[in-house]
Formats: sequence, C-alpha cells, structure tokens
Amino acid sequence: MARKITYLKALNEAMAEEMRRDSTVFVLGEDVRMGVFGQTTGLVGEFGEGRILNTPIAENAIAGVAIGAAMNGLRPILELMFCDFVMLAMDQICNNLAQWRYITGNQYGLPVTIRTTVGAGFRSGYGHSQCLESQLIQVPGLILAEPSTPYDAKGLLKSAIRSEDPVVFFEHKKLLLGRVEGDVPEEDYTIPFGEAVIRKKGKDATVLAIGIMVHEALNAAQELAHEGIDIEVIDLRTIVPLDKDTIFESLEKTGRLITVEESRMRGGVGAEIAALACGDYFSLLKAPVKRVAAPMVPIAGSAVLEDLYLPNKDTIVRAVKRTM
Amino acid sequence: MSLDNEKLLEIYRKMLLVRTIENTHSRLLKEGKIHVNAHLGTGQEAVSVGVTGPLRKDDILFGTHRGVGEYIGKGMSPKDIWLEYLGKKTGPCKGKGTQHLADRKNNIPGLAACLGSDFSMAVGTSLAAKMRHLDQVTLFFVGEGACNEGDANPSMCMAALWNLPLVFAVCTNQFCEMSYMREHFPTEDVAPRAAGYGIPYEIVDGQDIDTTYEAARRAVEHARSEKGPYMLEYKTFRMAPHHSGDTARYVRQEDLDEWGKRDPIDLCQQKIFDRKILSPEEDQKLRDAVRTEVSQALTEAFAAPDPKLEDLFEDVYAQREVG
Repeated sequence: MARKITYLKALNEAMAEEMRRDSTVFVLGEDVRMGVFGQTTGLVGEFGEGRILNTPIAENAIAGVAIGAAMNGLRPILELMFCDFVMLAMDQICNNLAQWRYITGNQYGLPVTIRTTVGAGFRSGYGHSQCLESQLIQVPGLILAEPSTPYDAKGLLKSAIRSEDPVVFFEHKKLLLGRVEGDVPEEDYTIPFGEAVIRKKGKDATVLAIGIMVHEALNAAQELAHEGIDIEVIDLRTIVPLDKDTIFESLEKTGRLITVEESRMRGGVGAEIAALACGDYFSLLKAPVKRVAAPMVPIAGSAVLEDLYLPNKDTIVRAVKRTM
Repeated sequence: MSLDNEKLLEIYRKMLLVRTIENTHSRLLKEGKIHVNAHLGTGQEAVSVGVTGPLRKDDILFGTHRGVGEYIGKGMSPKDIWLEYLGKKTGPCKGKGTQHLADRKNNIPGLAACLGSDFSMAVGTSLAAKMRHLDQVTLFFVGEGACNEGDANPSMCMAALWNLPLVFAVCTNQFCEMSYMREHFPTEDVAPRAAGYGIPYEIVDGQDIDTTYEAARRAVEHARSEKGPYMLEYKTFRMAPHHSGDTARYVRQEDLDEWGKRDPIDLCQQKIFDRKILSPEEDQKLRDAVRTEVSQALTEAFAAPDPKLEDLFEDVYAQREVG
C-alpha cells in the first residue's frame, strides 16, 4: 500500500527500518540525535544514544571512525551535514574509504553510507550551498547516488545501507526542506544502483538530469511541449554506476542530448556524459551535446547573484532549443 | 618486571627476524630485485616487537609504513610480508597493497598512505568492539611525526569521550621523515597531549625489551578492562634513513654513535646470555636459523605468480563491474 510521505520522512524511514532489520547498522555524525534538517530526528528515541552517535566537529576524523567501524563488522551511516564539509573528509573518502577493498586485496570491504546535503537557494553563501558531486567521480570504488523523489530516496538509501560498497548519498536541501511529497509503499523495497528512470517519455531530445534538476527539467518539458518540442526526461538516480543502456536507448530515439546538473560546468557530471556520448554514441547525435550546469564562479551571498547562478527551467529550455 | 625466559626468547627471535627481513629488503633494493621502497625500523625493534607482544590474535593492530617490526610482532609470517612487498598475486593484499600491508588473519586492517589518517580508523575499530561487546583491544601504533596530522587530536578526544578499548602507542624515533623531531615539536614529548583529554599516559625507554613489553602489557590491560584509552610514548632512535632513497645527511654522527651503544637487539642478546637462556653457540644457531627462514620465505615468494590483467580490474567493488 502506497501513501504520500515527504522526502525527509522517506529517508528517516529507510534508516529506521534498516536499523530494525540489522543490528550492525548505526548512525553517526554531527548533531544527528537532533537531526539538523530532520533526516535523523526521532531515531534516538527508538534506538538509543548507543546507535545514534553525536560526534565532535571533525569531518575527516569521523569519516575515519566510520571506516574503522566498518572494518570491524558494523555498517555505519555517516552524516556529513553539507557537501561543502565533505571536502574536509576527502582524504578519508577518496584515499581510504573508496580504495580500501582494492588495496587490501578484498580483505576489507567497507560498507559505509555517507549521507550529505547539496544545493543552493537558501542564501547561505559560498560554503553551505555547493553541489560537489563531480568532485567524487574520479575516485574508483565509490557509488554515488542522488534521489529526486521520496520513493527513490527510501529505496536508494536502503540499497546504500545494504551495499557492501561505500556509497555517497546526496540529498538536495530543496527536496528536504520543501516538504516534497510522493507515493511510497509501506512494504520493504530497494532500488538497484545503475538504473536510471525515464520520468517523461519524449522523441525530440534526451534531457539527463540529476536530483533537484529533474524537477526543473520536467517543468521545462511542459513549457517546451507548448512549442511542439517533445523531450524525454531521464533521472539518473546514480551518477556511479551510470546507466549507459538507458542513455543509449534514448539517444537512439532522439539524437539530441542535454545534461542538467546544479554542480558547476567544468569537469562536471555533464562533461563525463558528453564525453561518453561523443566517444561511443557519436553516430546517433544530430546536434552538439549541450550541458546545463552552474557557472564557474563561487556562490555569492547576495540573493540576486545566487538566483543568477542557479540553472533552472529557463536555462534548460534555452539549451534544448539550441539543439533543435 | 622481566619477561619469562620463554617469552624473552620468542621476542628475541622476532627481533632478529625483523632486522634480517629489513636488511634483506635493503639489499634487494640495491640489487634492483624489489621495487617497493624500504622504510626501515632499524634500532626500533624493541618498540615494535615489544608493543605488539601483549596483543592477542583477535586484537586489532594499526601499524606504520616502517612496519615489519609490528607486523611480525602481531604474527604475520615473513613469507606473507615478502609476497606482498614483491607485489605477488598470492600476497595477503594480492600485491595491491605492497607496503600498505593488511592481513585479516592477524587482524591488521591496513595502513593509510597519508600519515595519521588511521588514527581515526582505530577509534572506529575500538568503537565497534565496544558496540559489539567484543573482548578486543585496538593498538594504534604511530610515529611522532604523524601525531601532528589533523586526525590525531579528535581521535584522542573521541577515544576518551566514548571510553574506548584503544591504546595509542607513539614511537618517538627522533625523526619526522627527514627532519629532527625538534623541528616539528615545541616539546620533547608527545604523550602529554593525551592528558588534555584525560587519557593516562606513560613515557618509557624504547631500547629495553622488558620495559617496552611491560608498558604495553599495562596499557593493553587497562584498555581491556574497560578503563578507556591509554597512551604510551617510546623513546628510541631511527638508525636508518627515512626511506631507502634518503641520504640522511641531516643525521648527526654523534647521535648514531650514542644510540648505537644501546642497540635493542644487542641489549636483548645480553639478557639472553645473562639469564643463561642461550649459549653463544646456541645464539649463533638461532641467528642462522632466522637467516635461513627469511631467505627460504623470500625464495618461495619470488617463485609465486604475479598478478595478471584481469586482477587489475578485480576488487574495486564487491561484485559487479561498476562503470
């Protein structure tokens, strides 16, 4: 039976259900007993302070704690409050967490889930607003997931917690705080990594979007429909692994590709996908690949500048038209 | 307190093994027969073998890149060390770790390449031991140089905050990579930092095996009896360069001469003779046996298979290939 719940609630349920199911799962992070955005709020009541662990403010070190706990039989869910703060833990995440299975010859896999928030629009300035997913694309050994709906939030987080591989899980603040609701079954389910989903079928162009940008792309689709342009909107759901099959099948049909992300343009997720398309699917392309992403500037505190910085429905519409 | 004769002999043998392996490694490098750089712990054997002596097999050890001493101390075999140092497919890390040794059989989870990153991993393993109600101690063994890394302080903080079964053991060998410790530290000692977190600490001589072992025994016992973390600092001297490519021009000859008078293996040998555990002839036999063991292990390791192309892509993820 499905009911409507928020994105926030979906994440909370995923953690609670997995903690009930598996006694080795626990949550650690800064202020997780309270829950800064609310994802972990209330868990301490059911699971106690022993399994919902407030940590000191020391991102790299608490990432190391999660790694150590995973080395010794536990499945930590580590919350790093903002992805801007993830940068403080890059040594542990990129050098150690991601590569430990490999460099120990499969003796020590690390089933760690790192949850973090991304996204601008809250007038929070340069260091609490970024989308830095693409910083992690270069690292072998990580799974990168970014759900855009409550259904995906719950299913992907459950998969992350059960995964034998480390997962970095990105939650957009607009989805968390915007009370975004969606149908979520009461029954247990998971979503496999590497399976994108087509949010809207279309024949003229393929728009690949991540996280919050899926919603902007769907708005763009409505506007473009009025002008007779029928786009296909694909929600990637996981950046690594990338669902190449779905991208290929869509491009076979449309021949036009537009990537959409809130992270910055240079070396972004879109750059990787554009390179894939130009390298492997060149014969399918009827037009140059277009990337919609944030510009290569910091995020200003000014509301005016922040709004100008963000990709949105309008920038997607313009990019699609340029491929026509 | 002194070690009993049997234990002393076992430790002595391990110290001999360590020095023989390290000297062999150094020779192999000169001969171009091995690629992995040698960070030798010559002169520190009473620390590395002593500190790991009281550990049980199921206790966890984080060692250093100067680690043959602590890995042999914890129970790793010379052959496994050679297999991994030679990058062989049958090494414990399948040749993918080489100097970053990990050995699950002996509860050695690995070595972080960036110094000091494993400080916090040791907090994690001991946290898991506590949460899982395991009767298990984690020993975090580290050089003084790495104690200035960012994870050191929050790790001591969390270990004390959560009352974890964790022993921090600092091997103060007077050098932080390629400079004297005094260029990195405003103080002579590192361990008093632990007091800032309410962690008890001891600073002990690192040359005498009875002292190094006994201090570790007290620390491990403290951690095992749920009294929380403990900090040890061993004072020793690194007789080798930082790594095999280091000319060590910065090392003063008078320091080498002074510390050389208290070589830990010589001191242990004297104890062995004083306590009449071995005669000089028996000692020579033991040393010959150790040399034979190391060279046999090396010969076997050289004969082991190298990894192949398919191994390049294995073990990145648990199962499937992820693109």
